Amino acid sequence: MLSLFTVQAQETTANKTTITNKTETKPVKPTPKKVVTQEVKQDSIPVKTDRYGVRFGVDLYKLTRGFYDSDYKGIEFTGDYRLTKKYYLAAELGIENKTTDDDRLNTTTKGTYLKAGFDYNLYENWLDMENIISIGLRYGFSTFSQELNSYKIYNSDPYWGELPPEVSGEKFSGLSASWIEVNAGVKAKVFNNVFVGFSVQLKTLVSNKKPNNFDNLYIPGFNRTYDGNFGIGFNYTVSYFIPIYKKKIVIPETEAKK
Amino acid sequence: MKKILFIIIVIAFTFSGCEKDDICDPNTPTTPRLVISFFDRTNSTPKNVTNLKVIGEKMTEGIIFNENALVESDKYITNGNKISIPLKTNAESTTYRFILNYNDPNPALVNEDVIKFNYTHLNTFVSRACGYKTTFTLDRNSPFILTDSDNLEGFWMQAVYVQEPNIEFENETHIKVYL
Repeated sequence: MLSLFTVQAQETTANKTTITNKTETKPVKPTPKKVVTQEVKQDSIPVKTDRYGVRFGVDLYKLTRGFYDSDYKGIEFTGDYRLTKKYYLAAELGIENKTTDDDRLNTTTKGTYLKAGFDYNLYENWLDMENIISIGLRYGFSTFSQELNSYKIYNSDPYWGELPPEVSGEKFSGLSASWIEVNAGVKAKVFNNVFVGFSVQLKTLVSNKKPNNFDNLYIPGFNRTYDGNFGIGFNYTVSYFIPIYKKKIVIPETEAKK
Repeated sequence: MKKILFIIIVIAFTFSGCEKDDICDPNTPTTPRLVISFFDRTNSTPKNVTNLKVIGEKMTEGIIFNENALVESDKYITNGNKISIPLKTNAESTTYRFILNYNDPNPALVNEDVIKFNYTHLNTFVSRACGYKTTFTLDRNSPFILTDSDNLEGFWMQAVYVQEPNIEFENETHIKVYL
């Protein structure tokens, strides 16, 4: 497969030489195609190609956290599609179930989220490297529910003593939030089509549907909320690249035309 | 391309509006105390009490009115015209003993009145750091019950009125006492 692609690519650049090559090799039918490519390479400029396709991955941080943190269960799937040389369409889809134990509140948040946007690759790859150092933008949306497990009453005057937490069990459902995030990430090809990467995200809430008499303390995908609209995130991914087509790198071709 | 990068970096910096929200700000209105103001019954002007000590039912220590007092016993004594006392957040009533002229060398001047406050309470969410607060509504029919102490020296509180039955903030008077 690989050699076939390269032959095709080279045929267009050095069309005249390949034609002559073809006529020579035609009578010898059983000769493997590798021989042809070798012959071609000798009298044409080596051509760089970029592979285009989709990449699917999973966030290992979320996946493994469930093993050591009994208050957390979650998974995030990632995907990207190479649009141009530098731009990638990117999306993340996740589901989370997290119990947050604050000093005065204990809540469980359950929900799903979807983030979509793009990544821009800042890294200039050498030869056939396919590493990515990117910054990107996402729009995220989450629907979720919260359950208040227990709470404490704040009393500035402890004359009657500090009371134990009140057990509640009250459920707030039908909540939603959306946000914009900026992310910076790295993806490195470790072997074949397997990539490992990590990214950090800075988020700002666009909308936040809060329940009556309570607040959204944790939003799936957005993570912990703060007093303002600010949020942060992190992921550590392993992904698999599925090549769909190849594109020649344009620069060597123009040089050849000269 | 460079422009897009620049825009993204600018957006990233605008995110830096984070604040510390783990500590409950003392200025946040949380569970309010009951505010009682004292008035002169002859001319309805604010009147200072003399050496008043307030002790909760079944409690040994009084409410601290003067945190910075040099003498330990003075912390529990007030000579002002307004006091704030906490209500129980897990009960429907709170009873206090109000002792006027506490520890006076002349035992005849020491006068103790007892008030039981009846109310309903409601817990409302404040914030992550503060948790919940309890607000109170004094009972419509019987907001308080005033009784004399065991040694019948008579009432030093001549009249007690409810000024604000909804106890939500501490910056207003809820109960007016005339003496």
